[in-house]
Amino acid sequence: MSQKMVVIKGTRDGISIILRRRSDFETIKNTILEKLQKGGDFFKGGEARLLVKEGHISQEEMEQLETMLKEYGLNLKKDHPLYTISFPTPPLPETLILKKTLRSGQRISYGGNVVIIGDVNPGGEVIAKGDILVFGALRGMAHAGAEGDANSIVAAYRLQPTQLRIAGVIARPPEGKSAVPQVPEVARLKDGVIEIEPYYLL
Amino acid sequence: MGQVIVITSGKGGVGKTTTTANIGTGLALLKHRKVVMIDADIGLRNLDVVMGLENRIVYDLVDVVQGVCRLKQALIRDKRFENLYLLPAAQTKDKTAVSPEQMKNLCGQLKEEFDYVLVDCPAGIEQGFKNAIAGADRAIIVTTPEVSAVRDADRVIGLLEAAGFEEPQLIINRIRPDMVKRGDMMDIDDIIDILAIDLLGVIPEDERIVISTNRGEPAVADESSKAGQAYRNVTLRLEGENVPLMSLDVEPTLMERIKMLFGLRAKK
Ligand SMILES: Nc1ncnc2c1ncn2[C@@H]1O[C@H](COP(=O)(O)OP(=O)(O)OP(=O)(O)O)[C@@H](O)[C@H]1O
Ligand SMILES: [Mg+2]
Repeated sequence: MSQKMVVIKGTRDGISIILRRRSDFETIKNTILEKLQKGGDFFKGGEARLLVKEGHISQEEMEQLETMLKEYGLNLKKDHPLYTISFPTPPLPETLILKKTLRSGQRISYGGNVVIIGDVNPGGEVIAKGDILVFGALRGMAHAGAEGDANSIVAAYRLQPTQLRIAGVIARPPEGKSAVPQVPEVARLKDGVIEIEPYYLL
Repeated sequence: MGQVIVITSGKGGVGKTTTTANIGTGLALLKHRKVVMIDADIGLRNLDVVMGLENRIVYDLVDVVQGVCRLKQALIRDKRFENLYLLPAAQTKDKTAVSPEQMKNLCGQLKEEFDYVLVDCPAGIEQGFKNAIAGADRAIIVTTPEVSAVRDADRVIGLLEAAGFEEPQLIINRIRPDMVKRGDMMDIDDIIDILAIDLLGVIPEDERIVISTNRGEPAVADESSKAGQAYRNVTLRLEGENVPLMSLDVEPTLMERIKMLFGLRAKK
């Protein structure tokens, strides 16, 4: 198991509460309380310090903790600077993975690559800043490199789009009923023209 | 408690009303179920005509939700099956006369008393569609083997999934085996490939549908109708029975028969 969410240590002049915030505040409070009760008189009286090693505790939550500790005869020392490591919100994943069939009238637009595990039906649209990969039949419209990246590709297990776009170039299949491709294919820009070839040549 | 099933399609004229009338009648005929059919196509009602009940309408769906009459007063009993009822649509109002909330209430009330509540949905995906699906537990999608109808069915399935319907089922109507055989019509596999939902039945093109519609007696009760047979199968499948898809093989032509007589196998 990883490090505990709440650790309480006895020190010379009271206790230290070391917090790693991995759940809601109620749970944290209850955990602290439980530990204090288990410790019995050992923790009673004196001063308490709070060390937040992960996440952040708000002013209001701080006050709640203070009240709770006071009932236990503990004085929360606030002169101790709050030690907060705030984790940056993770950046948007580069690749959106979608396990779903995109039906007529449904559209996905994403500022990265898009992987679809399912089909894209006629009337469905996928628009991506990067590449588009379809693990299924691509029968609708796909636009890769929608913000201008001409190196983007569109690949599909069965590539039968109503229309393909890569960066600013638009292509559509020849008129008439074309045969269903028997291998996965990839479309990319070559000299300003969208070319399609079997995927295994990649 | 019964279940509410909405019959919908997106595209107009593919056979929703025909399907509603035939399944409703089928359930009453074959299984003696207590069934009510709601015509949710306000302003364009015609389920009453298909059922031959037009001249018995006094009150309608809008009268019920607006409190003009009690629900019981608006229900019309079928001519032949005493367990079968119709709640007709209003002809002189439009789709906005009813709200999804009101439809939900109405369906909730009806399924307390009936085994099946079948809702005949209007074409389109606007207000009328939203009303029709509001109180439904399940959905049946009707399509014909045409690209545009399948496209609309796909759109509607997407909307139903978004609305929380788990497994809509499909009826393919007006299949013409001769055309499929010649490659001039989408076949069942092509359609299932795209829509990827459960197939509840395949109904052949059948002129008896037109005759029975004009007569106001759904084909499901007509022993000699192929479409009627297909609807009887659909009815049984709805009741959980395992009925194989009926063979839609084209009868051999005279020429093919003669060839067969002479031992020259007719080409498949
Ligand atoms: N299997 C069939 N064979 C021959 N004719 C059919 C068949 N199914 C439906 N029809 C005919 O197609 C027409 C349209 O059918 P119906 O009214 O059931 O469609 P709908 O989907 O309810 O239409 P709307 O969207 O206008 O409500 C009718 O004239 C009906 O008789
Ligand atoms: Mg209709």
